[in-house]
Amino acid sequence: MSELELRQTTVEASAEHPPTRRRDRLPRIGTLLAAAFVLFLAAATCFPGLVATQDPNQIAAAEAFRLPSLEHWFGTDESGRDVYSRVVAGTGTSLLIGVTATGIGLALGLALGVLASFGGRALDFSVSRLVEVLFAFPGLLLALLVIVIYGPGPVTATIAVGLSTAPGYARIIRGQLVSIRSAQFVESARVLGHSPARILTRHIVPNALVPIFVLATLGIGQAIVWASALSYLGLGAQPPAAEWGAMLAAGRTYLAGAWWMTVFPGLMIVGTTIATTVLGRALARRGRMHS
Amino acid sequence: MTRGSPADPRGQRRGRTIRHAGLLVAGAVFVMWAVATLTFFAIRLIPGDPAQAILGGPGSQASQEALDQVRRDYGLDQPLIVQYLAMLGRLLTGDLGTSYALKVPVADLLGAQLGGTLLLALLSLVLAWILALGLSLWSTGRGRIATAVGEGIELTAAALPHFWLAAVLIAIFSSGLGWLPPVATGTAAGLVLPVVTLAVPLAGFLAQVMRESLLDAMQQPFVVSAQARGESTTGVRLRHTVRHAALPGISLSGWALGWLLSGAVVVETIFAMPGLGRTLLQAVTLRDIPVVTGVVLLISLVYVLMTVLTDVSSRIADPRLRQEANR
Amino acid sequence: MRAAPVTTRQNRRFGILAIGLVSMIALAGCQAAEPEASGDPVSGGTLTYASGDAEPTCLDPHVGGNYPQALIAGQFLESLVSRDASGEIIPWLADSWEVSSDGLVWDFTLRDDVTFTDGTPFDAEAVKVNVEHLQDPATQSSTGYLALGKVEQVEVVDDLEARFVLSTPDSALLESLSQPWTAIQSPAGIARGMEENCQAPVGTGPFIVDEWVKQDHISLVRNDDYSSPPADAEHDGPAYLEGIEWRFVPDSASRYAALQGGQVDVIDNPQPDTIAAAEQGDAFKWIDAPRPGASNRIELNSGQAPFDDERVREAFVRAVDVNDGIEALFFGTAERSYSALSSVEALAYSDESLFETDLDRANELLDEAGWTERDAEGYRVRDGARLTLRFPVSTNQSIPAEQSLFEQVQATAKDAGFEVVIELLDLSGWYGALFAHEYEIVSAPYTKVGPDVLRIVYHSDSITPAPSGYFANLSQLNDPAVDALLTEAAATSDPDARAELYEQAQQIILGGYYLLPLYDQQNSFLLSTKVQGARAISTVSTPSFYDAWLAG
Repeated sequence: MSELELRQTTVEASAEHPPTRRRDRLPRIGTLLAAAFVLFLAAATCFPGLVATQDPNQIAAAEAFRLPSLEHWFGTDESGRDVYSRVVAGTGTSLLIGVTATGIGLALGLALGVLASFGGRALDFSVSRLVEVLFAFPGLLLALLVIVIYGPGPVTATIAVGLSTAPGYARIIRGQLVSIRSAQFVESARVLGHSPARILTRHIVPNALVPIFVLATLGIGQAIVWASALSYLGLGAQPPAAEWGAMLAAGRTYLAGAWWMTVFPGLMIVGTTIATTVLGRALARRGRMHS
Repeated sequence: MTRGSPADPRGQRRGRTIRHAGLLVAGAVFVMWAVATLTFFAIRLIPGDPAQAILGGPGSQASQEALDQVRRDYGLDQPLIVQYLAMLGRLLTGDLGTSYALKVPVADLLGAQLGGTLLLALLSLVLAWILALGLSLWSTGRGRIATAVGEGIELTAAALPHFWLAAVLIAIFSSGLGWLPPVATGTAAGLVLPVVTLAVPLAGFLAQVMRESLLDAMQQPFVVSAQARGESTTGVRLRHTVRHAALPGISLSGWALGWLLSGAVVVETIFAMPGLGRTLLQAVTLRDIPVVTGVVLLISLVYVLMTVLTDVSSRIADPRLRQEANR
Repeated sequence: MRAAPVTTRQNRRFGILAIGLVSMIALAGCQAAEPEASGDPVSGGTLTYASGDAEPTCLDPHVGGNYPQALIAGQFLESLVSRDASGEIIPWLADSWEVSSDGLVWDFTLRDDVTFTDGTPFDAEAVKVNVEHLQDPATQSSTGYLALGKVEQVEVVDDLEARFVLSTPDSALLESLSQPWTAIQSPAGIARGMEENCQAPVGTGPFIVDEWVKQDHISLVRNDDYSSPPADAEHDGPAYLEGIEWRFVPDSASRYAALQGGQVDVIDNPQPDTIAAAEQGDAFKWIDAPRPGASNRIELNSGQAPFDDERVREAFVRAVDVNDGIEALFFGTAERSYSALSSVEALAYSDESLFETDLDRANELLDEAGWTERDAEGYRVRDGARLTLRFPVSTNQSIPAEQSLFEQVQATAKDAGFEVVIELLDLSGWYGALFAHEYEIVSAPYTKVGPDVLRIVYHSDSITPAPSGYFANLSQLNDPAVDALLTEAAATSDPDARAELYEQAQQIILGGYYLLPLYDQQNSFLLSTKVQGARAISTVSTPSFYDAWLAG
């Protein structure tokens, strides 16, 4: 479940690039658009009542399956609820799932990664094997087991997704820390007689954090996608919660006749992934330029 | 990646290789044991009585005598540690036990499912590679617009949930155009939609990795000099940079296969294909402990083998790694 | 789905009416006017069936006994009796039967020309072996075991005469024997042991289990020596079809797409929107065969607070509005029920007046019951506790439309101040919640032939859990009057007296607001138009392909 593993090379590579080349790879307008989208998400999370046009849980059976219109921007669902308002109402839950799951994965991954890279050979070997064990466990199975044991719901889904992304993060972070540890600027700091603690806090952590931050921005969208797979299997958010993944899963039944029920929540997930990634990369570039 | 010092004397290198191989095997054995142990105890945490699962699953109205009988027959009345050791003993002799629900040996059940799932996963992996390579070759180093479009496609592809992509593909190619069957096992046509469903999100990820490596490769002196010699851009890309782009991808293939097996749970359900993913889902629902354990062990074994394979093949492809592994 | 762009409610009603009309015509077309419409039956060909029900873990319906088993067992196993479309019990493997005046001894005269597909002759000894097999704890039978609970033993009077001796009179015996869960198998087949018999049970049916590829399909081949059609079959001799490929396709959208693409000929469990869409074209036929037994209903747990108070139960029933939701979500394919029993049961008693939505009355009742205050979110509270109803929903049993309907129940109940907490659970988790009494409302189907299902679902004996924790009386209705009526009805053989007793019992059950009926237990099949002569058997509404054939 940890696509992020794939980023290991991405991130390592980008850390070595001179900032100027990366800079012109993405148009600035993209960054602005991404920022605007994230602002909208923030507004929808903090003030859903202002952004939404209707009560997201208002049932109107006679109004079911309406096409998008001026009254219902994203159409209505099978119970006549306003899809736009539900998408807005679901922003908070969905982002919470994405951010918390990523946070859990990162925290666990960081702990394991630090242990592995600074704890000596024996510890490195055992932690790496432990991570491999977790890796060998198919991510969805891990999630299924957590849910079967602790009952379905957004909280367990979040923990399940977080847990199953942890080994991926652990690997990347270990690789990251190991390569920084032996990098030239750390060597020079050592030669200059800086204390190990200072080297860790001043040089290693800041240089490791930037790529980890980029990883996190990618992870949020992915966590939402995986949570939606759990919703498809009937084990995710509980009704009437308007969570994007759950909306996507529910609307799938009516895909042939009511495309708007899945397309809009789907666009929100894709949009969130792209926007956070673009912003994350932009911020990472700035971070590198200043350091 | 650290660059190692120049090659060591031969004998030393062989010694290292043997030691490395030993570590690999020991690590693999450890992983299998730990996975079996973890699964055994994790499954015991699931609420519900295994004896119920044996007697017809949830909602059965089995009598007390039948329950007692089953507990004795399956050793469920023994202390947990005895059950655990008994399981390890059976595993060592290659016995995966008997399915609670289907009452057939787990090895037979999984043997029949493994081929289909592996074929599905491998085809998806190959297709994902092709798509990713094509996209990154097309969009890398051709200006900002191409890059933005390429990255947009990658990110979108990577954010598509399997179940939704599958539904869209069925709606378009089965219900709409009638070109491809939504359910047809054993035929090539029936494999197209499931493979595409699994491959597209994976291709999104792989393409991102490849783009970075391509960019790296295109800065390498030998590429620059090839361009200076007047070779065409396409020619340079195909001859010199593809190999470099592929390298990090190889080491990720073991991981990707595990990822595909997770995706197979959903894809096999939607396209009604027999396979490990669907078996696993059903076994978890029915609390069929021997089958869950069997599937997990099998997937772990595939994963471990893939890891060893990719390790060996990347060491062959890139001698620098031989140094790194022994760092 | 294509019916969606209607603009007003009248239009929607009209659309549904039109769908209903079309479906009635279509049904009439495929049931009554079959031969003239499509020429003479032709032999040959393999029919492909795609089932959305779970794949059985054992094909012998004596083991356990659930609906997925019944669906396929109906193709290769047969019962002693059957039930025709009007609800009359008709001969099948038994030619005739007689009951003693005290109702304790039933003599069945068997057909004399029948052999099992393994060559074993069908006789009274076989019937005896089957009943003993069902009653043996080692068989792990649940449904069939309960259905024959009053049968003490079977005696072999002679080759073709089997005598059932009962412990108490059982007016439901014939109905119980008509179900696939008590179907008759070859004694030689049973003797092979459970593992082998589960893979390929041997019966007398028109088809034979040839191969079972797990999670993919079951191949059935024609029984060329078939000689025992039920009394209401259209023809004699072997089936027209050479075989059936029975596939398992759990995803409803894939199933429908496969029917559209012609990869399969028949699907079960179609989504309501696809039925409506199929009805508008003429590419598919719809067989609407509600299951017998209980209707689909929401049970109110009267065994604990807050529903131990009848006023609170009535308030819930009055507050909840499901009619618009059923219309919209089921696209006119399901009709609102006001009965505890399925509409296919002749003895079903309905009372619409009990279930009229009346929010004011609901509020009044809740005030009377002491739930007078409301908290910030609008939910009622009493002594600091919120009026919360836990609603475990099985994702295996409730289709998406039903889950959406429950969300509407949740929304409308909120207006009266009920907080409904829906918990979507897998089957094991769902049973776990029920066994722990962690529910105030729940919807659980129960399929059984005949009104005796009321005894299983509403008799106080059914509150006591089995060793597994299972209990069927989910409303926990505990009323000695109901118990007495249901027990007496089960022992009464006079049809009029029996009907009267069941009506009285249903009046008490409905009048006490122990349940909110929704609709019949939905059971539908969509068939490609090239499939002719297929029907649903009027016992538990499983499909029969004995008379079926494939047109050009």
